[in-house]
Amino acid sequence: MGTHKVCEKIFYFFSCLVEQKFPLFGKRVGLLVSCAADMAAKFALGSEPVVGSLAPSKKKEYRVTNRLQEGKRPLYAIVFNFIDSRYFNVFATVGGNRVTVYQCLEGGVIAVLQSYIDEDKDESFYTVSWACNIDGSPLLVAGGINGIMRVIDCGSEKIDKSFVGHGDSINEIRTQPLKSSLVVSASKDESVRLWNVQTGICILIFAGAGGHRNEVLSVDFHPSDIYRIASCGMDNTVKIWSMKEFWTYVEKSFTWTDLPSKFPTKYVQFPVFIASIHTNYVDCNRWLGDFLLSKSVDNEIVLWEPKMKEQSPGEGTVDILQKYPVPECDIWFIKFSCDFHYNAAAIGNREGKIFVWELQSSPPVLIAKLLHPQSKSPIRQTATSFDGSTILSCCEDGTIWRWDAMESS
Amino acid sequence: MSRTGTMLSKASDSANKLTKFHVEGPSDGVGSLEQKMHQLKLQIQAERVISVKEKVEKNREKVEGYVSKIISETARANLNALSSERNRSFKLFSSRIEQPLCRISGFVRGCGEKDWIENQEVLFSSSTKLPLADKIPPYTTWIFLDRNQRMAEDQSVVGRRRIYYDEDGSEALVYSGTDDEAEEPEEVKHEFSAGEDRILLMAFQEHGLGEEVVELVKEFIGVPISDILARYNTIKERNPEKCEHEGCISLDKSLNAALDSFDNLFCRRCLVFDCRLHGCSQPLIYPSEKSHWSGHDENREPCSDQCYLRLSIVTSERESAPGSSINAERPSSHGGTGLLHNERSIPGEAVPATSEAIHSSHILKMHNENIGKRKVVKHTDKVANDLTIVPDAFQGSSKKQKRLDALDLVTATSEPIPVQVHISRDEPRDVTEVPELRQTSKSTCEQVEGIYSNSEWKPVEKDLYMKGLQIFGRNSCLIARNLLSGLRTCMEVSSYMHNSGASMPNRSVVGPSSFMEDNVKSDMDQTEQEMSSKPRLLRRRGKARRLKYSWKSAGHPTMWKRIADGKNDSRKLYTPCGCQSMCGKECPCMSNGTCCEKYCGCSKSCKNRFRGCHCAKSQCRSRQCPCFAAGRECDPDVCRHCWVSCGDGSLGEPPRQGDSQCGNMRLLLRQQQRILLGKSDVAGWGAFLKNPVNKNDYLGEYTGEIISHQEADKRGKIYDRVNSSFLFDLNEQYVLDAYRKGDKLKFANHSSNPNCHAKVMLVAGDHRVGIFAKEHIDAGEELFYDYCYLSEAAPVWAQKPEGSKRDDSSASRGRAKKHQPL
Repeated sequence: MGTHKVCEKIFYFFSCLVEQKFPLFGKRVGLLVSCAADMAAKFALGSEPVVGSLAPSKKKEYRVTNRLQEGKRPLYAIVFNFIDSRYFNVFATVGGNRVTVYQCLEGGVIAVLQSYIDEDKDESFYTVSWACNIDGSPLLVAGGINGIMRVIDCGSEKIDKSFVGHGDSINEIRTQPLKSSLVVSASKDESVRLWNVQTGICILIFAGAGGHRNEVLSVDFHPSDIYRIASCGMDNTVKIWSMKEFWTYVEKSFTWTDLPSKFPTKYVQFPVFIASIHTNYVDCNRWLGDFLLSKSVDNEIVLWEPKMKEQSPGEGTVDILQKYPVPECDIWFIKFSCDFHYNAAAIGNREGKIFVWELQSSPPVLIAKLLHPQSKSPIRQTATSFDGSTILSCCEDGTIWRWDAMESS
Repeated sequence: MSRTGTMLSKASDSANKLTKFHVEGPSDGVGSLEQKMHQLKLQIQAERVISVKEKVEKNREKVEGYVSKIISETARANLNALSSERNRSFKLFSSRIEQPLCRISGFVRGCGEKDWIENQEVLFSSSTKLPLADKIPPYTTWIFLDRNQRMAEDQSVVGRRRIYYDEDGSEALVYSGTDDEAEEPEEVKHEFSAGEDRILLMAFQEHGLGEEVVELVKEFIGVPISDILARYNTIKERNPEKCEHEGCISLDKSLNAALDSFDNLFCRRCLVFDCRLHGCSQPLIYPSEKSHWSGHDENREPCSDQCYLRLSIVTSERESAPGSSINAERPSSHGGTGLLHNERSIPGEAVPATSEAIHSSHILKMHNENIGKRKVVKHTDKVANDLTIVPDAFQGSSKKQKRLDALDLVTATSEPIPVQVHISRDEPRDVTEVPELRQTSKSTCEQVEGIYSNSEWKPVEKDLYMKGLQIFGRNSCLIARNLLSGLRTCMEVSSYMHNSGASMPNRSVVGPSSFMEDNVKSDMDQTEQEMSSKPRLLRRRGKARRLKYSWKSAGHPTMWKRIADGKNDSRKLYTPCGCQSMCGKECPCMSNGTCCEKYCGCSKSCKNRFRGCHCAKSQCRSRQCPCFAAGRECDPDVCRHCWVSCGDGSLGEPPRQGDSQCGNMRLLLRQQQRILLGKSDVAGWGAFLKNPVNKNDYLGEYTGEIISHQEADKRGKIYDRVNSSFLFDLNEQYVLDAYRKGDKLKFANHSSNPNCHAKVMLVAGDHRVGIFAKEHIDAGEELFYDYCYLSEAAPVWAQKPEGSKRDDSSASRGRAKKHQPL
């Protein structure tokens, strides 16, 4: 309950609502203007977060090693393959009705490996995730405005399956790192769904009485607790869900031989934790160990600890630990990415700049600020390579930028 | 806590020293206070930074562990792949890696800020096509409801902000939420953090509660003085954590406390815990008339070896001459029945002639007669012995006994035979059992002494016992087994019953409707009472009674009027009244304009009660039926001939009055059609029928979340933005919203020339929306009904063509607000 009160308090600092034009999906986006001074004031003595300093530490120097123009339509997602160790340098992008697979090679070289195009010209993919088929061949799962999840088998360059079921556009798809045939999707239809790409089954639907009250924008699997996911969205909340009680259905989905549509899909109606730490759309959340990173349109990423109450699920308090400021990051649908080890997070902003934060130091350290005069378009998503030495960004104007850490001379 | 504790003691030590100082130079002290507060603040903040660092560090270790697991997983995928690569595979992917579609060279050294980068267009020489997949119409994820649900408080949108972005992008977006009514600026109570508590403690304990000190602290923390002082008092008084004992029900609590969750969580209307429709903590309605237990207790076998029946063996033994073989043998030969009377015959007990006692005495009589008749037993003379005792005891109540003889004839006559069988079976054992019995009886003797003297009854046990009396009457076997199992034995209950027998008449808990008075009462108005307690008996001999009922089978005259006047369309929410006497002006039902229903506390003869119908053969499908005419479904509990069958009658259903089952209980019995969901021929989703139906057939219920009108107005605004609303006016208090919770019928589209109509029915006190066929509908047809939007508020697609005034008397008169996305 405490979180609600905190939230109400915060509300008073946002008495000024400003409308500004920023394109998202061809639409304007409302902005909340907040000032850092006020933000600091709302924390009670002894529970203030540690805020990172924007002074660059010059720990690493990144330089542009490549820039591609992939059509004219905005690119909404870019993601490295972290599922299969052979393909750690392979990444995929989506934008418009196109899904493209690339490979990062030495010397800034990027190879175009595969390209897929949806026959529906109106499709606009918003998200893509790597998964793994039972035989080990890499899969791509993409979703967008049509609400259809496309499972592409990269081994045979064929569409493997199409999941129809979401009632509206799909905003994010993520893959369970420990069981890479399980993917979870966040949708405008206010639900999060768990799918088995191997058998084509929708196992669970996280929605209902305790579910999101507006579009779900982001979702993430806990890195170790296989039952746990976190989702966030336009209802300004972050919700943590547990599928422990439903795990038999997950297991059942692997051995299901009947039609996928006959599978007894279950609704998970109540999350185990609801956090109201943001006062606007929450468009990206990621687990950092047992803590969570989330961001709204407040020019910052927040690291917080969910303190659950075991007896009363759904309630609990939040301890906001750290903040990673990101200037000019006040439009929604800007997502950050982490390297495999969660050492760094890279996030683009509305003006085409990228901020690379050291995640696990206290206070947070700004590893680098990536800017180039030609990069001016909003960066929707970044991709950080396995070891963090390469950072990719995909932009509203359809460009892909590759930045590589330079050996300090 | 511990930290605060030490702080407290430390601070109070120094407080003593400082008061002196404070008196001497307040300004000085206050000056130093400011400094001190500042220092403490800095210290607290520094501590916080360290604690965050520790937390992050700890988490980092966890992350490392997690990541290493994932790394091994990625390698495993690799191995799996290698093994399968040989047989089948994704050669294409590995071949692409060797021969990519194209290779785009980069800048080995990287570009600086000043370097101009040429655009390198990615040219797709070949793209794999993803074939078209069928889209489905948009919808918001919804949960299936088979019955309406009241909105949970956290679902409310009232007073919440919501941010919108415009779907089409042409218009300016932004947030709405509280555009009309001014949102009350809620007084946000300041939550004191542990750090602020420390400052408070430090300041006040070291410097006292002087005005200046308080003022300074106020400035420092920025919270009103009253809050600060209140907080200070709470911290000061904060005791070490109170241990709360939870777990099993404490026997020292009263039953009322123990029953609290039952009273608050159990819905007496739906007979479920945690009812989603009527909610928790409903006002408790105690019926002014009570029916009492009428179960069979002819089978008076000792319920256990602690049964009072065994106890009475002992007592009788003690009473009669010791060593009397007759008495010793008696228990087994009589299967315990006789003993019951022994127990009953204790002086002072004869007066409260409970029905049960009468009953058993009656059985005994029958029993004895039987025995006598058949001359089976050689104990006949012993039985005769008994007989002489027993009737003596009951002479006082012989009048009633006779009456009841007749009443219970049905049940009683069937009983003796099994008892007798039992007797003959037991007989051989008697001889051997006798010595044993004696032994045990001795020990029971001691036990009995013990029971009489020791083991105080705990409040909860007493209360449970009282409840038991209410439910079962004076049947210690049933009370012990059902209510005091594990707490008290039957023997103990029985002895308690004797002891407290004297105080019985003025039991406060049971109140005026204790079972004894019930008995008297039931004699007086059996006609009313027995309906519930002995329905079968009544039906069989119901002819004379039916006449009696006929005059009150229909509703109260004023109600009739209301229906006839057609004012019924302003539907009012029914809330059960708790009137203990006849409902008068102060009855909430009366003043609210609703009928009293079976859930009300008032007596069944209440003038405001809806009496149901007594339609015999009509199946209640026309306005001839008072229920139908009042927009109500028949209720088998209330209506005379409306009955519910089990299955198709193939299970040997006894014949009932009336030709066939009542046709006006279709919502109650969920006699609905299979509805299919599909792409509408008109717009978005549509509801379709699986099997053909006839005119006026019931198709299904329109279920949803029950929300207030205020909430509905709020939600309606949100829904109108997306042109998709699932609101349906239910009654004066509530609106149904099927947006997130409902059933497939929410997808039935609007038409001004529909094949269905919606009708709000009162079903067992609740308003529910039924969808009925307006005409014959073929299988697979799409369902439409008129949403009946108010013409001025209706969206373009639902506006009625001008001049066409349809008669919608049969349709829902409510302002239906539902429509479907385009």
